[in-house]
This record gives sequence, C-alpha cells and structure tokens, in this order.
Amino acid sequence: MTEDSLLSDEFIRQLTAVSEVDIVVGLPTLNDSDTVQRVVTAILVGLAKYCPRERSVLINPDGGSKDGSAEAVQAASMPDFRAVLVPNPLRTMHVVSTRYPGVQGESEALTMLFAAADLLGAKACVLISPDLESVTPEWIDALVRPVLKNGFDFVAPVYQRRRFDGMLVKNLLHPLIQTLYGHQVEEPVGREMAFSGKLAAYFLGDESRRENFPGLGAHVWMTTAAMAAGYRLCQSFLGPRVTASRRSGLDLNTTIQEVAGTLFRCMEIHQSYWISRDGCEEVPTFGFQPVLDLDAARIDRKRMFQMFGRGVNELGSVLEKIVSPETLRAITEISKQEEKHFLFPDDLWVKTVFEFAASYHHSVINRDHLLQALTPLYRGRVCSFILENARAGNEDVDRKLESLRQQYQQQKPYLIERWNRQA
Amino acid sequence: MSVIGALANHAAGPSDSSADPLWYKDAIIYETHVRAFHDSNGDGIGDFRGLLQKLDYVQDLGVTAIWLLPFYPSPLKDDGYDISDYTAINPAYGTLEDFKEFLAEAHRRNLRLITELVINHTSDQHPWFQEARSSRDSPRRDWYVWSDTDRRYRGVGIIFKDSELSNWAWDPISKSYYWHRFFSHQPDLNYDNPAVLEEVWKVMQFWSDLGVDGFRVDAVPYLVEREGTSCENLAETHEVVKSLRRRLNEKYPQSFLLAEANQSPADVRPYFGSGDEFHMAFHFPLMPRMFMAVKLEDRKPIVDILQQTPDIPESCQWGIFLRNHDELTLSMVSDEERDYMYDVYALDAGARLYLGIRRRLAPLMENDRRRLELMNGMLMSLPGSPIVYYGDEIGMGDNIYLGDRNGVRTPMQWSGGRNAGFSTVDPERLFLPVLSNAVYGYQAVNVDAQRRSENSLLAWMKRLIRVRRSSRVFSRGRLFFLQPRNHRVFAYIRELEKERVLVVNNLSRSAQVVELDLRPFEGNIPIEMFGENPFPRIGQLPYLLTLAPYSFYWFRLRRL
Repeated sequence: MTEDSLLSDEFIRQLTAVSEVDIVVGLPTLNDSDTVQRVVTAILVGLAKYCPRERSVLINPDGGSKDGSAEAVQAASMPDFRAVLVPNPLRTMHVVSTRYPGVQGESEALTMLFAAADLLGAKACVLISPDLESVTPEWIDALVRPVLKNGFDFVAPVYQRRRFDGMLVKNLLHPLIQTLYGHQVEEPVGREMAFSGKLAAYFLGDESRRENFPGLGAHVWMTTAAMAAGYRLCQSFLGPRVTASRRSGLDLNTTIQEVAGTLFRCMEIHQSYWISRDGCEEVPTFGFQPVLDLDAARIDRKRMFQMFGRGVNELGSVLEKIVSPETLRAITEISKQEEKHFLFPDDLWVKTVFEFAASYHHSVINRDHLLQALTPLYRGRVCSFILENARAGNEDVDRKLESLRQQYQQQKPYLIERWNRQA
Repeated sequence: MSVIGALANHAAGPSDSSADPLWYKDAIIYETHVRAFHDSNGDGIGDFRGLLQKLDYVQDLGVTAIWLLPFYPSPLKDDGYDISDYTAINPAYGTLEDFKEFLAEAHRRNLRLITELVINHTSDQHPWFQEARSSRDSPRRDWYVWSDTDRRYRGVGIIFKDSELSNWAWDPISKSYYWHRFFSHQPDLNYDNPAVLEEVWKVMQFWSDLGVDGFRVDAVPYLVEREGTSCENLAETHEVVKSLRRRLNEKYPQSFLLAEANQSPADVRPYFGSGDEFHMAFHFPLMPRMFMAVKLEDRKPIVDILQQTPDIPESCQWGIFLRNHDELTLSMVSDEERDYMYDVYALDAGARLYLGIRRRLAPLMENDRRRLELMNGMLMSLPGSPIVYYGDEIGMGDNIYLGDRNGVRTPMQWSGGRNAGFSTVDPERLFLPVLSNAVYGYQAVNVDAQRRSENSLLAWMKRLIRVRRSSRVFSRGRLFFLQPRNHRVFAYIRELEKERVLVVNNLSRSAQVVELDLRPFEGNIPIEMFGENPFPRIGQLPYLLTLAPYSFYWFRLRRL
C-alpha cells in the first residue's frame, strides 16, 4: 500500500531544481495579491543582506487564490539592491509557488513546507505572513540568525504591541502555555517564526500533525510541540506587526476556536509532559526593543460588556455543563454588575479557563459548542481588564499580567485535579 | 628541418594558419616564463635553449601559441616587469641568437609567440630613467612624469597597497618626485612626449622583425595621467593605443595586440575601439566568478558577469584564463564577494596578496580532479581564447611562503628526478625551490609520470584541447544561455553558422538532474563530443539529463 504523497509531482520537480538549501522561507498566500509583492521584496532583500552566503528558497504555497497571488509572488521583481544598500546577491534566489488544497488553510501549507524543508535539507525555516505591511528585511535576520548562528530550534516573534492589543494572548495563551509548558514565550501564536530543519523534520513526523489544526491553531501546535519535545527555544523582537486592514477583523469565535481549541487539544496530546512539569524557564530574547508608548488599541468596551452579559444569560444551561457550580455562580454574579464597576477577577478567570480546558478534555459537550461558550466569557474578561487598566501605565499593566500568570501557576494543581477527575 | 634551416626562416610565422589574420581568435595560448620552464645550461635558471628543448611538449599539448613573460634585461625586482633594456635578452636566459632559434622552432611547430610589451613604465635602472634623473635639463627628462610636489593626481588609487604608500616617489638625485602606478622602482613613462611613443614603436618593430607574432601590452589603462581624473582609461591612452595599432597593422598585418586591463568588461570594451585598438583583451572579472560559482554551486556569478559583458567588434576576442602568473585578482569583485572568496579559497592569510589570492589552480580546487576538469572544461567552452598557465595542465601546486607571487612561478616539474628535471644544478642554486611536498611536489606531480598514463590530468587536458580545436564554434561562436531551474547547472549553446554545441556543466559537488528546454533544437541529436556517442533525439518535452558531481557534457547538435 502506498501512502499519499505530501508533495505534488510538479512541486517536487521544482524542488529538485532548487536542491539542497540552507534556508526555506515559507510564504503561504490566499488572495493576498495586494500586499504580497512588498513582502516578497522584503524577504529577498533580507536574504541578500543578512544571509548572502546561504542557499535559500522562498516557497509560496498558495491556497487557490483568485486574485493572482501566486503570480504576484513570481512577478515580484528583484529590487535594485544597491538602492537599498545591499550588495548584489552572490547566489540565485529561487521563488517557488505551488498549490495546496486550501480547505484546511495553513495547516496544509505548513505540512508542505515541512516536507520541502526536509527534502531540501534546510537548516532553517522561516514563516512570514503575506499580508504584512510592517515587515522589513531585518525580520529575516532576526528570525534566521538564532537558528543558523546560535543553534536554536524555534524562534518565536516578539511584537511591539499597543496596549490592549493581543488580549487573548495576554489573558489566556501566554500565561496558560507558560504555566503548563514552562517557557515564557510572549507570542505563542506568532504568525512569523523560524525553526530549525531538525524541528521541521520532527513536525513532519509527529503524528499529531495529521490533525490539521485550523488557521492560527497550527501555530499553537508548533509552539507547544517544540516545547514538549524539548527543542531549544528563543524569541526575537520584530517590532510592530501591522497587517492589511481587511484581515484585522477576524471573527472572535473563529479565533477562539482555532487558538484556544488547539491549545486545549495540545494539552491532551502533551499531557504526560505538562502534568509532571514544574517551574518556568526564561526564553532568550534577541533584538533591540525601543521604548515606545503606542496608542492603545480601540476596543468597544461597552459592547463587550453587553455581549458578556447576554452570553452568560443565554448560555447558562451550557455553561453549567462546562464549569463548576461555584464558578458559574460567580460568573453570573459579576454579569449583573454595573459596567463601570465591572470586574472579572484574575482568580475567577483562571479557574474558568481551567474548567473549560478540563471539560474540553472530557468532552462534556460538543467541543465546538464548548469553545463557542468561552467567547462571551472572554469578552467579559477583556472588558474587565480594560476597565482595570484604563489609566495604568505600561509598567502597571505588566505587573497586572505578571500577577495573572502567578494565578495560573497557583491554580495548576486545580487544573490537574479537574483534568484527571474522570480519567 | 634543421635548426639552421629554421633560423633562415625565423621571420616567417607559423605555416598552418598564417593566412588567417584572425588566427588569435582560434588560439589556445600557453603562458610560461623562460626562467621557470627548463634550464639547459645547469645554472639553476631556465633559458631559451631549455624552452626550445621542451617545445615538443608544448606542441603535443595542443596549444597554438606561447605567451612568454618578460625575458629582457631587468633587475628582476618585479619578475621582469621592470625592464632595463627593451631590445635585448636577459643574459641569464640566453642570447638573442638563442631567442631567434627558439622562435624559429616554435614557428616550425605552428606555435605563435606572444611577448610582453611593458610600456607603462620601465625599471628605474633603465638608461632612459638614469639619464632623465641625472639632471632636470636632461633631454630624456620629459620621458617620465616628474613633479615638485607629491600632491598632483590626488585620489588616484594605489595598486600595490601592501607595499606602496603613494604613487609618487622622491628622487634624491634630481630632487623631485616621479610618478609610478606600480612599484616605486618602476617609474611611469610619459606619453605626452611623442618621443616615448616613437621609441615604443621601435621596440615593437624590433621584435616583430624577428618574427614575434603579437604583444601582450602590460598595464594599459595607466599610460596617460591627467589631473582631476583617476588616471585610468583616459581618451589620450586610447589615442596611444590606436597609434600603435595603426602602425602595426600597416607593417605587420598578422601581428596582434593583447590588452592587460584589469577593469570591468564595460571599461575594457573601449580598448577594442571599433576594431582599431586591441585585438584581444583579458576578461579579468570572469575568472574569479568561475571560482566563485564552483564554490557557491551556483551559475549566477558567471551568468551575471557574462550578461554584463558588452559585444565586441567581430575581429576582436576576449582572452580568458583560470590562473596566471599573478595573484587571483579580486579587484573587480564586490567587497562581499571578495570576503567570500578569501573565506573559501584563502583561509590561510598567507595566501592573500594585494587584492587577491596567490595560488595555483590545483590547490584552489583542493586537488580535486573533477573540479579541475570542470574548470578547464568551462575555460575551453566559454567565449574567448583560453590561456593555460604553465604547470596547470599537470596540476602543479604552489608555495605561498616564497614571497610576492613567486609561489606560483616555481620551476616546471618535468620528472621525479633531480630538481624535478628542470635543472641539473645543485638545488640550492635554483632561482626558486621546486615544490617538494607530498601532494604537489615534483615526485607526485610531473610530466614524465603523467605521460605514462592515459588517465592523467595531462592526457585529459590534451583530449580537451583536441576536442576544443575540433570546432571553431568554441572560438568564434555566439553564446546563448539556457536557464534551467536548477541553478547548479550552467548550460549554454555555442553557435556558429549552422553548427551548434550544447554545453552542460554541473557546478555542484553532488549529482544533479536538469531539465533543459531544447525545443528550438527539436529533432536534433546531441552527440557527446568526447566519446562521439549519440544521445536521445531532442523533442518537445524538457530534455532530461543527469550529471555526476562536477561533471560536464559537450554535445554537438546534429540533425540526422
């Protein structure tokens, strides 16, 4: 019996021509023709400037764009390197485009990249998003160098975020991953990242890859899988992450499905790792981070509060299957508070998250429905966080987040207890 | 033919292609030094009689011309490029009669002779300079470039930065500065003085009358100086060249001029003029890029430089080479490229000299036979007349500890016997020591041993040259690049009238597969030129070839 091939014959033909490389840059696209050419140029300049001696290929798995994204990638002309103070590249720079089915989104694209990196013997792989407006050639250096020069296997990004930006990361992903996996990675769901060829081969061979985590979930899986397998991690400062505006309003339900759902699933996959693990390691951070006080992200707090209240009210029968009676009671109580006095306290939020994770594990209800029920609670938490920190400076916010992380840590035994209860 | 008979014909050129004024376009040139080739009289220094004794070897190699490094009287502070008498033979190398005899024998073997015309400067020991410096009123004073200050021509580059701080040197005798673009013992001649040009023309006539077939003109870009310029490639320099070419054409229509201008192809292009300046010019920037391409395993450096190479007049030709008597010059590459070349080819800082690498071909290729063959294969199939540096045909090594560029100028290794068969003198008296290490020493690498093997590098080089000479498509054909996706494969078509040759080079250390778009040649059968083996007929589909590491194919495309 033959296994399905991960790579099409045409793609293999193209890779055969490229042959052995040092760096694979993956640039998955899906209707990104408006922005992708500039991203390609930044990548090519970055490779020429910072990796002039390395053999590299830019691989563009395209999900069947209707707007000619793949053609735009191919047509992205090499810039006049002298004009950007970069010497003419020593080597041929290959740009290869191929199709991936598209239904499963980035997961398929990533699998193709893992396989291509493995086939080409790449030492480092970089992932870059096609809709970036803030990408610079320096991102290539920041992501590649720790792998090629410092021997790290996984490089997570550090973005310069606006206050109240990345609330899901700050309130759930980051502290939960840190508590369970023991690594202080600021952006566990960073869209831009780098990993070693060795790790790419591991991803390719890891059975859990076949679950095809949706959208951003694939990034959560990669981050946690690298941690659980003991690969060397670091993070690199990239600066602000600005994308084309049309992408910014990703549906929150979908995001939570992708990100929280994948993390809960990964907790199952890696449970033997995190249940016995204790403590937390700092992750080396590369790059220079300027002190800039960016404007706070605009969030419609009032609407968030209303949706929280409505959600708690409408989903009571669902929530009672997911969280403990004490937790549900407390949530219900705070949902009745006036907006200006509203507070979703850290301990309650952490307990809620843990109970959701355990219930997801035990499949107390349909998992998709469970994740949908988390959305209004998350909205309440965000609303509370904004209210609490409306006048806080950056340092105050950092202190609050540190306090939240400690709360996650303190309640970890409770999570384990809930997790194992029906086992 | 007896030696006497040959002497009688000394002024005549070689017999086979003497009627073709474009003979240089088909030439395969062997560069050597009289001093380093063979010593006939046992004084430790090669000489013309020694060279004559080895002419059969040169002829057997298959080359068509010999280029001799300076053999004139000289203090030898720059290996003869510091000439103190333009119309005589350095006594260490023999006599003028010896030279004539050698030349006649070379011609009898259909070998052309190209000699050095070092006219940018003389030795400071040359009588002209001695006379010029003797007094500010000397009639020869104006034959050189003098100044009361060393601030003229400021900003002009210094070529030998390792040893010279300025292009001006103080002359304590006439108490003034003289201009020198090279070493301070090499004062530049002043071409603003017509008498200098006349004297140079006399020198050219002298050697041409003896039968010399052409001149390699040294340091061409620097002949004339002008304030506010780089003092390179000036219009006045071109006028000097045109004047010499016009006279040469009128009196010696078979002779030719080869320019040494270490410049970018675009800057060298004017030296061809409209076919009224040089017949040939070295393509300096191509050479380092061939080395770079093999190390990078990427055709890009070669393709880039050839695409930047402008067309030249029909009667003109590029002179291409892998190595020569100088350092592998990196002055025509970017800083990043130079750093890369140093890192991959000259990790030992002792191998670095000026802006280059003082190594021979074989050590640069780490004595890898496959890479030596690939490099020579490209040399013989790219546009231009190839120049083979003596000893590289047997894979001679170098000695970077000898100072300056002497490490690539050691005695030719003829045999495993005393002094490599170069000389019978006591080894201590050799002008330079022979190589004696285990890898490149004369007992491991020598002509005698390689003559005995059909598989030696020498035997292979002979075959390569023979195949190259089998078709003028290599020497006169046009070049078209193929652009297969696999950048490790460097493929091109050479085309002359109806004849086409497909060249496919694998620049990689590993086996490669390549798909070539040969649809324009659909129906042709590729005939592999070394074995005369036919390959499958070309069709509409991509033509698939697999190549062993560093291997290459030459296919004659035939419609049968």
